Amino acid sequence: MTFLQSIQSEWMKTRRSTAAVLVITGAFFIPSIIIFMRFVQREKLAAVYQSGSFWHNHFFKNWQVMAFLLLPLGVILCVSLITQLEYRNNTWKQLHTTPQSFTSIFFAKLTVILLMLLQFFVLFNIAIYISAVVPLLFSTKAVYPLQDIPWTDLLMVNVKFFIACLPVLAIQYLLSLRIKNFMLPLGAGIVLLVASTFAIQWEYGYMIPFTYTGYTYILNASANPEIKMPVNILLLSLIMFAAFTILGYWLYSSKKDKC
Amino acid sequence: MNTLRIAMKNFCIETENLHYAFSSGQPILRNINLQVEEGSIYGFLGPNGAGKTTTMRLLLGLLKKQDGRVSIFNKDLEQHRIAILRQTGSLIESPSLYSHLTAYENLALLCKVYGTSVKQIDPLLQLVGLAGTGSKKAGQFSLGMKQRLSIAVALLNSPKLLVLDEPTNGLDPAGIIEIREMLKNINRQQGTTILVSSHLLAEIEKLVTHVGVIHKGALLFQGTLDALKAKQEQTSLIYFDTGDEVSTLRIIRDNHQQAYTENGKVVLPLPSKETIAAITRQLVQKDIAVYGVQTVQHDLETIFINLTNN
Repeated sequence: MTFLQSIQSEWMKTRRSTAAVLVITGAFFIPSIIIFMRFVQREKLAAVYQSGSFWHNHFFKNWQVMAFLLLPLGVILCVSLITQLEYRNNTWKQLHTTPQSFTSIFFAKLTVILLMLLQFFVLFNIAIYISAVVPLLFSTKAVYPLQDIPWTDLLMVNVKFFIACLPVLAIQYLLSLRIKNFMLPLGAGIVLLVASTFAIQWEYGYMIPFTYTGYTYILNASANPEIKMPVNILLLSLIMFAAFTILGYWLYSSKKDKC
Repeated sequence: MNTLRIAMKNFCIETENLHYAFSSGQPILRNINLQVEEGSIYGFLGPNGAGKTTTMRLLLGLLKKQDGRVSIFNKDLEQHRIAILRQTGSLIESPSLYSHLTAYENLALLCKVYGTSVKQIDPLLQLVGLAGTGSKKAGQFSLGMKQRLSIAVALLNSPKLLVLDEPTNGLDPAGIIEIREMLKNINRQQGTTILVSSHLLAEIEKLVTHVGVIHKGALLFQGTLDALKAKQEQTSLIYFDTGDEVSTLRIIRDNHQQAYTENGKVVLPLPSKETIAAITRQLVQKDIAVYGVQTVQHDLETIFINLTNN
């Protein structure tokens, strides 16, 4: 029994699951709205596509609502739904009587959640590109931007957003594994997310991990060099992720009743 | 002493002074010494809330053991949990299935975990009568179908030990007979040891070779089904309804039997046929009117109820 087999088994459970549907719909949601908006404002498209920083603007336009709200909310929902698969189907007892260590089960599930997050990022970037190309069909005046797509920069920002949402993922994973009632971890996550929208303007807002994707947007979308954080958000994200993962693992493995 | 006992009988499951209590301190299991012989079908009987499921959960490592020892395949459960689970199939209480997946997919994901081929899935679905379910999701199955699929899950890794908690729950009478025959065949053909719990003796007495009766967390009886049947013989009674109780009692005592009166009848434990004939003959010879001779044989269910009531 290898860890890879545990991951494969966990991945198979996500087939046709609500979480899997959420990853796909979530990735195409904002780009679809942008396509619609550009269809409505199609007479202005030529100017938009002639901009020298079209790709930068287009990319961060897609990321704006995503970074502040939808990405952390999607992570909260997706993690809760994945762990809820076991509670709702009464399958924890079956899973815990398979020849796997508790460590394998915990980290295989976490790996699958991370893979789904990665899947979301890939799909979202594809959708961002589609949302740049499709509006060209609505206007005869607008042309495909002449400038090259800044692949390296966009990839780096993707990596930063990915790292920034890891603490939310770890906190939600901890709560969802520990609490049987689906609504409690979900509610806790949403309350913290709402709190983070206020906390982001607070000087100690970095103490709430749900603000990190928002901060990452502010730090990267603006060209203003004066915007600085008192702490390194990415480093803090990685530390928080590690800390909450270790705590989550300890709480999970020390649970007396594994049903 | 333990070594000697193990050498005499090979136990697939053995617990020593297994104890479990709620966090409030209220005991659920008290010194359970379960001994399930290898190759046997062990019926674990007890009324609801007796401690059957708790015992089974402890045997599978689903509950953290508080006190006592659990040994399966002569290996300590705590130290060899994964090796033991690799050779064990289980069904604890209600079915554990992913409702958004088909029967095939439910089994396929477990094939990954066990590292076994998916080729065995179709014959297994055939065996439990779910071959035609195709793309139907497990969530759309009836309770009986879910129970059958759960049994298929338990059999997937060709286990040496099957732990089944009330496996016929939700099945119709034909389904119960089918599952019973299937378990018998698995036991006979593959030598699989089966521990099966139930709160109904009548339901499993046609299946099991050994019986353990648990009540209020204590093991009241453990032995072969034959030993339980011998207990049944011991508790059978015969009633003599005659015109003279005193003389009847004397004749019975002359035949070396202990008797007492109950509602105007003389009652004694069921003796041999010869003794019954001798007593009746002597009653007639003494001109005592015999109105009736009635034997009452307790069935296994009554013994089970008596054991749990006492």
